Amino acid sequence: MMLLQSNMALGLKEQIQGISADIAWLAPEITLVITAVLLLIYDLIFKENKSVGLAAIAFVGMAFTLALLFSGWGNVGDGRTLMGGMIRLDGAAVYLKALFSIGGLIGLVMMLRSKKKEQFFKSSEMLLLFFGLVLGTFLMTMSINFLMVYVAIELVSICSYVLTGLFKSKRNSEAAMKYLLFGAVASAVMIYGMSWLYGFTGTLDFTSIAFAEGISRVAVFPLSLALIMTIGGFVFKLGAFPFHIWSPDVYEASPTPIVAIFSSLPKLAALAILFRFVASLDLALVDWQLWLGIIAIASMTVGNFSALWQKDVKRMLAYSSIAHAGFLLVGVLAFSESGATSALFYGSIYLLMNFGAFFLIQVFENKEGQTSFNSLRGMGTKLPYLGVLLLIVMISLTGLPPMAGFNAKLYIFSSLWESWQIMGSNILIWVFIFGLLNTAVSLFFYLKIPYYMFFKGREEVEIPVSGNLTDKILGTILVLPLLLLFFKSDWLLNVLNSINFAP
Amino acid sequence: MIENLLTYIIFTPLLGALVVLFLPQSKTSSFKWVALGALGVTLVLSVLAVTSFDASVEGLTNSEDQLQLVDKAKWFSVELGSLGKFSVDYFVGVDGLNLSLLLLAAIVLFIGAISSFGIKQKQKGYFGLYLLLSTSVLGCFVALDFFLFYLFFEFMLLPMYFLIGIWGGPRREYAAIKFFLYTLVGSILILIVMIGLYNSVYDPVKTGMEAGVIENVSEASPEVISNIQFAVQSGQIESENIVKSFNMISMADDANYLPDSFLGKNSYGEIFGQSARWMAFLALLIGFAIKLPAFPFHTWLPDAHVEAPTAVSVVLAGILLKIGGYGIIRTAFSFFPDSAFHYAWLIGFFGLFSILYGAMNALAQKDLKRLIAYSSVSHMGFVLLGLAAMTVEGVTGAIYQMFSHGLISSMLFLLVGVLYDRTHDRGIENYGGLASKMPKFTILITIAFFASLGLPGFSGFIAELMVFIGAFKSSTVIGAIPYWMPVVATLGLVLGAGYYLWTLQRMFFGKFWVKDKAWRETLVDLNAREYVMLIPLVILIIWFGIYPATLLDLINNSVEGFTQLLILSVE
Repeated sequence: MMLLQSNMALGLKEQIQGISADIAWLAPEITLVITAVLLLIYDLIFKENKSVGLAAIAFVGMAFTLALLFSGWGNVGDGRTLMGGMIRLDGAAVYLKALFSIGGLIGLVMMLRSKKKEQFFKSSEMLLLFFGLVLGTFLMTMSINFLMVYVAIELVSICSYVLTGLFKSKRNSEAAMKYLLFGAVASAVMIYGMSWLYGFTGTLDFTSIAFAEGISRVAVFPLSLALIMTIGGFVFKLGAFPFHIWSPDVYEASPTPIVAIFSSLPKLAALAILFRFVASLDLALVDWQLWLGIIAIASMTVGNFSALWQKDVKRMLAYSSIAHAGFLLVGVLAFSESGATSALFYGSIYLLMNFGAFFLIQVFENKEGQTSFNSLRGMGTKLPYLGVLLLIVMISLTGLPPMAGFNAKLYIFSSLWESWQIMGSNILIWVFIFGLLNTAVSLFFYLKIPYYMFFKGREEVEIPVSGNLTDKILGTILVLPLLLLFFKSDWLLNVLNSINFAP
Repeated sequence: MIENLLTYIIFTPLLGALVVLFLPQSKTSSFKWVALGALGVTLVLSVLAVTSFDASVEGLTNSEDQLQLVDKAKWFSVELGSLGKFSVDYFVGVDGLNLSLLLLAAIVLFIGAISSFGIKQKQKGYFGLYLLLSTSVLGCFVALDFFLFYLFFEFMLLPMYFLIGIWGGPRREYAAIKFFLYTLVGSILILIVMIGLYNSVYDPVKTGMEAGVIENVSEASPEVISNIQFAVQSGQIESENIVKSFNMISMADDANYLPDSFLGKNSYGEIFGQSARWMAFLALLIGFAIKLPAFPFHTWLPDAHVEAPTAVSVVLAGILLKIGGYGIIRTAFSFFPDSAFHYAWLIGFFGLFSILYGAMNALAQKDLKRLIAYSSVSHMGFVLLGLAAMTVEGVTGAIYQMFSHGLISSMLFLLVGVLYDRTHDRGIENYGGLASKMPKFTILITIAFFASLGLPGFSGFIAELMVFIGAFKSSTVIGAIPYWMPVVATLGLVLGAGYYLWTLQRMFFGKFWVKDKAWRETLVDLNAREYVMLIPLVILIIWFGIYPATLLDLINNSVEGFTQLLILSVE
């Protein structure tokens, strides 16, 4: 629609030429689509023992996507607008997409290491949805047009709803239903807000000058309302307060590899959209910093305090991910170059920590068949190596040295401090103080895991469990970066510094 | 002199921890010897550090020239675009402010390792964690880069949490988490200030190198540095060439604060209508006062002490509390001397209150270990009072008190451990007339009690005397705290004598009586291992009581440099 209007002058031929020339830039996305199609075809052709073939296709497809992103790393330059102004490919988008493919690969490894791996690989449905979700997050990182944002978010959401409901149990159906209802309402509200903004400005491209000019002519109240509705949709995907209520149920019901994906990829993709969106909002026009500041404080506080009472590890991590969404928002609030860099740093570390945590939880889940805190009793003495790895992840999630979670927290709050020094806005210092004090609350529930593993014994005598060497190696690979990036955080930061997030 | 001596001191225990980690589980008896060996090496190296320390070096404590045994290497630095960059160094060194505490830590850790020989279960984990704790404690005392300091300061909590939580008494889990949470709240306050500080402070030498004023570090003479400082203050150096720094020595110099920075002395901003420097000072003060601990942040201490195994109690009382005091000296007072002066009355008041409140609590305790824990609160109050005085005598007294209390409280907790090993009971009222059954034990505990209550001839007396002299002089020399504070504080001495003598009378004198008949067999006098732990402490306590110059000569110049800094800021 918008595309056609703005490009009418160009003529259809030029448009099609432009689009086909841009297609080369979307090679990673196209690879994802082709992989999904291949999975489908493979599933149709072969009848028996499909799991090996399906897993192989999925792995190769994801690895190839990652390779394409790495090879295309240097070519992006300052970024380019593609597809007639629908998406923008820049360093940040490529970095996030590479991060997501790494997450996708770890997710696939987790599925393979799951005790019930049959449910992932017996037919192509699950993998298809999984690739759809990853594709959606890829598109989210690049969208600069409201329609594209909506399509990308819906792609992620619909895949997520079905993924939650795909595994047949009563809990799954309930969680999927909750998720769907919440998601539908959030989407409806968001698109309603977007329609207002379109009405105000006459453009769907929120990075354009027309958009900035358009909203500057609108009265504060309707503009605020439209913006709040729109941002609400992003916050839903970010899983932050007040759109967080679905996450504990979904996390508890879904298989662990899927939860690991849910809790990281869509969150960071939503963060990217938020970054691009708020960059076009003049602070003098509306005080979005105040709204996001309140959302950040509320997410951290609600997430952390709710996590205190949980009896299930996955539920606990769900609430902790709500709190981390609040921390990620701090980077947006800082509204500066270093804010963006530190949010990307935080996001990368968060993704690593999350996959590490869920991977190790799954290892213990494989042994016990459940993820309650009680099932972890005495595991530290039985499986000391894996127990210590999980301890390291928990310490990193809390944000204590010597783990990278500390650097992430340090940098994101440093950027907030800098912005506060310049802007002097009160909400920033409140977020600063609340955010850091929340660490003390979070310590309490993160430490519950080592508490059960090392302090609590078991009454019943059992067959001794032994750790699997593959699990140990994979766990080490996931945890080692957390230690390395504490001691040499400049390795990652200097990469991030070379990226610019300016739309 | 050995190159990189301090680095060896810090990391020898870590090496020991790795050895423990890789030794097979079956070699149960070897772990304690590895730990003892590693800490023995650390002790020897620390004594070497003290002997090679040149006590005649003078200078303000905000100049790197007066530091000795310095090890400095680049750790990492990050570009911040137009905001310049920041750099983190591996930077350790000693001066009179931390030298004595380094020695204390080495002594107490070694003796704690001997006392840990009684641990029977999960020895591998215990000694591994104990060695990790040792590294972070030693590192904390010598680290002079705030990032490095914070690393050691925070990392200490983890081994401590597990040492209390796994090897502790019946309520160990509660005590462990309480300890962790309290200290973490304190360290978050410190982190908040750390973020503010490193964004406000630049490193003149590195900034000079970045801006091309000098080629390498060796060219950085004092004149060059002050030229660079002038250039930064007058805005002649581009902001992208500014190198922000975590250097704790730089942070103590006003000239190293960026001209428009929030925490600079001349430019300070406001938080909630209060001076940002005051707020930052208070945050640091509270952060370390929790560790110290001072009233009203002391409630974690009795729980942690009562539940912790003996050796961990020894390390906790002997060294960990001192990190609180040292932190206040090295960070809060050094960075914000003007705020310290502004709040001196408050610090003095809380010191005074801790002295009295701790002593009165001790008087009411029924558990011997709790009594000693509260006596620690009382004695740490003297550290605050001495610091609040802001005079040479007061600060010297504070440091001396930390050193002396480290030795005395270690001995007290070891002695309680001796009793607990035999009967698994610490109730004061459950014993009577122990002197007739355990005469040698009684002699040693009497010495420890007298040393702790400040009898002349023991190190505690010198420390408290210095604090009192400093506090009395304060109102005439600098005007930090009023006369009545030390006057009222003397009450603490009376109360101290009260609870110790009363305990002696109830538990040790009179006719032999114990609550449980079975104890009559188990209550035997000290054995050889216990002598090995206790006798050196007795000798040290008496030595530092009758010949204080051993320590005073070492720390005197630095303390003068430090108080000079305080006085300069007031004028």
